Amino acid sequence: MRTRFMMILLFVLLMVSCLAAPLRLSSEVGIHTDAWKTRMEGFTKETGIEVEIQQFPYANYLDQLMLGYTSGRVEIDAPYISMLWYPALSIANYIYPISDIPGYEKINEADIPGIRNAKLNGKTYIIPYMNELGGIIYRKDLFEDPVEKANFLSKYGYELLPPKTLEQYRDIAEFFNRPPNLYGVTLMGRRSIFLATHFMQRLWAKGGALLDMNMRPIFNSKAAIEALEEVKYMFQFANPAAMNYDFQEALNEFISGRSAMAEVWTTGMFYVEDESRSSIVGKAGFVGFPRPEEKLGQKLPMLYISWGFSVSSKAPDKEAALEWLLYVTETKNEVEAAPTGNIPARFSALNSPELVKSFPWIGDFAAAMENCIPTPIVPLIPEGGSIVSGIIAPAVSEFLAGTKTAEQALNDAVREVDRLMRDGGYY
Amino acid sequence: MGDRMKLRHKTRGFAYILPALVFIVVIFMIPLTYTVVMSFFRWNLLRPDLGIKMAGFSNYARLFTDSFTLDTVGRTFNFVVGAVFIELLVGLGIALALDTEFKGWKIVQSILLIPFMIAPVVVGYVWRFVLNSDYGPIIYILKQIGLGELVDKPLLSNPSAAMPVLIVADAWEYIPFVTLVLLAGLKSIPYEPYEAAFVDGAGSIQRFFYITLPLLKPSILVAVVIRTLTSLRVFDIVFIMTGGGPGTATETLAFYGYRTAFQAYNIGFSSAINMLTFAIAVVFTILYMKIIGGGKNYD
Repeated sequence: MRTRFMMILLFVLLMVSCLAAPLRLSSEVGIHTDAWKTRMEGFTKETGIEVEIQQFPYANYLDQLMLGYTSGRVEIDAPYISMLWYPALSIANYIYPISDIPGYEKINEADIPGIRNAKLNGKTYIIPYMNELGGIIYRKDLFEDPVEKANFLSKYGYELLPPKTLEQYRDIAEFFNRPPNLYGVTLMGRRSIFLATHFMQRLWAKGGALLDMNMRPIFNSKAAIEALEEVKYMFQFANPAAMNYDFQEALNEFISGRSAMAEVWTTGMFYVEDESRSSIVGKAGFVGFPRPEEKLGQKLPMLYISWGFSVSSKAPDKEAALEWLLYVTETKNEVEAAPTGNIPARFSALNSPELVKSFPWIGDFAAAMENCIPTPIVPLIPEGGSIVSGIIAPAVSEFLAGTKTAEQALNDAVREVDRLMRDGGYY
Repeated sequence: MGDRMKLRHKTRGFAYILPALVFIVVIFMIPLTYTVVMSFFRWNLLRPDLGIKMAGFSNYARLFTDSFTLDTVGRTFNFVVGAVFIELLVGLGIALALDTEFKGWKIVQSILLIPFMIAPVVVGYVWRFVLNSDYGPIIYILKQIGLGELVDKPLLSNPSAAMPVLIVADAWEYIPFVTLVLLAGLKSIPYEPYEAAFVDGAGSIQRFFYITLPLLKPSILVAVVIRTLTSLRVFDIVFIMTGGGPGTATETLAFYGYRTAFQAYNIGFSSAINMLTFAIAVVFTILYMKIIGGGKNYD
């Protein structure tokens, strides 16, 4: 009798502790996290579920997650992660297929561009909250200046507009390159994933790819060599210091008004609009990455970056995690949180008149999103990060530094990727 | 002394060193053993589906056949030799200059220590700033004195200049350490040999080479060994200043090990890289002890 009573008491205590346990979120430290953090209080009020968050610097967030999951010490229910990380986390069963949680159908996948990248074997592992594209942010005031327009027209024979083709992009960069006060374009030359993006955008625009259908590396093709050479060509219209720029330094140059264009991604626009540090508030626009003239009108891969929510396999209350996902990715909540520093993932939020009124460039971004194939910055396999950061970035850097030709750099990189894929058992 | 007494004596001795022994085993031996063991396995944290498999010597075979690893060893060697040489030379010069009692000596000593007290990450950012081709003061000064041509291409993006720049940045940080070690050595040299040398008519150069330098050897050995070991592990300033680039110009063994462990999550191969670094450190230390220590035991 006494034992039975104790068992029941223990069970009740366990249930109560489970019910009272807050939903544990994790994230990097960044502006889109700041955006969704504004929704936490509202979620608790609406659902009664307490939410707590653990934040890590971006540089070691993945390490923390991997080491924590590997050792079984992770106490996170819904990690907010980069889309690039979910293949490794899902293959290891660290995260759970969200599409298997009852009630998932309420997510309305059709409203989220790029969601096909979030699926593995037909199951969805991550719900995008922030979507952005690699493209060009440009100085609208310069592009709309009548004198500049006239001079450009007389020099190049066509109207000065945000570049749609690679040829226009080159011309405009050359036209505005007036060092040391103004540079044609800001690029990110530091050996990092940022540098690799310059190559990959051109590779895709020219119809190339990193891997073929059999996962064999093919980025030493003619198109790839041309793409790499074009990266180097563009650096002549950039500040020489850009050879060692990362994303933040590139943005700093652009928002201080020292370049006409910056080849970065959409988030850059929030920095442009930040009155505390930008000298060009309200003077910039966004356009998707250009393509060769003959490919105008085609839907081509464009560099796609996305962060979203996943659910840990060990989360005790997966329904509560789904509740949070449904709440935070609701159109209304995405719209309200966006001004803090997020580019909503849903089309319905991007097309919200309220948001477009506050941020006119959101409309240009939505248009670019609709007219491209959002393609993640690295192949969505566990080895993806190694391929781009560890192999392609150094190869691009070697070519820019002049220590290898484009062909040599790419051939060497292809050999290295081939070995990596063999080691990974892909063939 | 009877056998029991001897045994008790030995046991007591062992008890005295036991805490230190436990400390060494826990702090040093366990991680070291773990690294050695892992270096014989194929284990990729990103691919738990592949499991942890015995790899024999394949990680080491890759280390010694891969031209990139060998190049990286070469670059690390250049860095270590360059940094330690500059630090020793300049540190010795400063130590000799400061080897006198003067007013304000304590202040000079404190100022001297400043670079050494700054975190290497901050040192990396400071140097990145001072070398910025737009607003970096060093570049500005070089341009003002007509040496602008030297920095036409930003130094950190120039494959020929990036490594020397890293060496200078590292030396800037650690010269104070070397100076202090050598200064302590200089202060411990007795005055009598100098007096005898004076009487014998030895000049200052002879006194330096025949008295100061030989008696300073133990301090030089300490400074050089410590700095070699820490230079071999250089990571922070590489990570901050160049990210291993341009190309692979500044990729050192520690940075390569980091990339392998935390970009590729290849724990087995990264352990092999760490073991290689460890082996190089041991070889350097033995060499120094032979060359500088003359084979003497300084216990």
